[in-house]
Amino acid sequence: MFFFRIMIMSFRSLWVHPLRSVLATLGVIIGVAAVVAAMAILEGMSARFATGFESMGSNKLYIMPAVQRRGHRTVGVFDSLKLADADAILKECNAIRTAIPQVMNAGLVKYFSKNTNASILGSTEQYCKVNSHEVAEGEFINRSDVQTGASVAVLGANVKRELFGGRPALGERIKITGAMGARGFTVIGVMEAKGNVAFTDVDKQIIVPVTTAMDKLYGLKAVSAIVAEAVSPDDAKIDEAKAQIKKLLRARHKIRAGKPDDFQVQAQKEFVKQFAMFQNIFGVVLWSIAGISLVVGGIGIMNIMLVAVTERTREIGVRMAMGAQRIDVMQQFLIEASVVSFLGGALGVLMGWGMAGMIENLTRLFETITTAWAVAMALGMATFTGIISGLYPAWKASRLDPVEALRYE
Amino acid sequence: MAALIHLENLTKHYQMGETMVRALDGVELQIQPGEFVAITGASGSGKSTMMHLLGCLDRPTTGAYWLDGELVSAMTDRQLAVIRNRKIGFVFQTFNLIQRTSALDNVSIPLFYARVTRVAELARRALDRVGLGPRASHAPSELSGGECQRVAIARAIVNEPKIILADEPTGNLDTRTGKQIMDIFHELHQSGVTIIVVTHEMSVALQAERIIRMRDGKIVEDRPVDRAEKTRGEEATEPATPDREPSPPMARRAKV
Repeated sequence: MFFFRIMIMSFRSLWVHPLRSVLATLGVIIGVAAVVAAMAILEGMSARFATGFESMGSNKLYIMPAVQRRGHRTVGVFDSLKLADADAILKECNAIRTAIPQVMNAGLVKYFSKNTNASILGSTEQYCKVNSHEVAEGEFINRSDVQTGASVAVLGANVKRELFGGRPALGERIKITGAMGARGFTVIGVMEAKGNVAFTDVDKQIIVPVTTAMDKLYGLKAVSAIVAEAVSPDDAKIDEAKAQIKKLLRARHKIRAGKPDDFQVQAQKEFVKQFAMFQNIFGVVLWSIAGISLVVGGIGIMNIMLVAVTERTREIGVRMAMGAQRIDVMQQFLIEASVVSFLGGALGVLMGWGMAGMIENLTRLFETITTAWAVAMALGMATFTGIISGLYPAWKASRLDPVEALRYE
Repeated sequence: MAALIHLENLTKHYQMGETMVRALDGVELQIQPGEFVAITGASGSGKSTMMHLLGCLDRPTTGAYWLDGELVSAMTDRQLAVIRNRKIGFVFQTFNLIQRTSALDNVSIPLFYARVTRVAELARRALDRVGLGPRASHAPSELSGGECQRVAIARAIVNEPKIILADEPTGNLDTRTGKQIMDIFHELHQSGVTIIVVTHEMSVALQAERIIRMRDGKIVEDRPVDRAEKTRGEEATEPATPDREPSPPMARRAKV
């Protein structure tokens, strides 16, 4: 009851200078808005990545050329992985149960007058099983298509819709333009709609035999990756598979002892770890920004409270004459400081929430998730800032001499 | 009858630069319950210091002050705050109302610090006593000077204190409004409250029962007011032309 009355009193005195109160809390508002928005983005990204990783499967290994970015240049060997490497891995590594060579590139697809851009995935007959992605109609490329480099294509659900609409696509001829010019392909199947698998929209994808993609579309001598599956998702088995692949590929690529690999093997699990690390770093940066802006915000609050105490010296004197204890005066200004920063925090939450929504709408990469926990945390931090920065002004007010305060003009 | 206020060799010294100011210099005084006392003197005579000490806003340098049987000169800040809240009601020259809050809220302040629960009811009753019940929701800026001072009196009496300490209560008011305020003090006095008015206006002081005159921190005169004097005092505060409707009070209003 007593507390509640002080709250009402605080609201009143803040309302006297609305603009001043808002300016004083600007630091808190911006800080809280930044935290809420960044948390929403981080949460959204985590959720998106979690489903992304799940769809990848936990026993997968990605073998890629050893390419590194140094500043703006990409250095390393691009064409170290050959088709035969995939076969060899499957044959000789007993901890591996599948190994699919893959080529991924962009291509322009044309069916009579209709054009669309699609990502062209060169793969093998194993694709369906490894990615749990099945054909909806027609059939998938088979082993002999891969061996002969047949000009057949399986369309992603969206590609089919864009080119053919509701009409049947099976048996139709489409043109795909790669690095080596336009080539005709026969549509033999359409995949079921699945959305994102491992951060690629598979519905905007056309799957062709890996050999066809390399020889007829892009003129490649090497594959862009080999996707392998270990026999089991145990850490031990994954490590064993990695070791086997490394040993085999070093031997096949004739790399002498002491020289670095010209390829890299990464387990899907390691991506998860890397992402978790990225998430942690992002979190630390986020909380640092929040901390700094709240310190700045706190200075703003302290400043305004010092002004308020000076301005209201006489009121403090009157209150003391009426029987206010020093602790009552202190409490009043502390509550006022925390009310102003809590309100600033609330404004900040709204702003941050709006910012997150805007980012979501602009980028359309992921949904942002504003959790109750993030909001509570931000408000709590704002209020805490208010109390801390209100301490000194409130203490100053409570130490005033009643006679001096009453005389103050 | 035990004295309500008993001062024994009270001194208050201030250090002002090089010189020591003896604001109060060995004051001896007794005030009985139910008295109406005026403390007068020129500025610098020590009457303000006297008022601060009597109001428990300050402590004496030496000497003893018993209020209602308690030695307040030896009390802590916390105890003094409680005494001010329960036993003393202040009325100031500049009203010292808190702006932008209603009359009712202003009157509620002492109740608030007394942790009383029936705040609105008691505050309203106090406003009714000074005849401002209907204006309870008005802010000080919407009230005339006389009304402001009546709100201040309501605030002073709301905790039913033993003493009302008024510092130049009519100083910022015109004669007619000043008279109204003095009438309220008379009514309160009739109901048994001890009233101490600090003033330099003789016409106001003469309305009390007893005048204490101070000079250089000492009481130089302490005498009862006789009836003839009193009548003169009242006449002095009457408006010059009582039959005519007076113009509205144009009091200077101090803001808190």
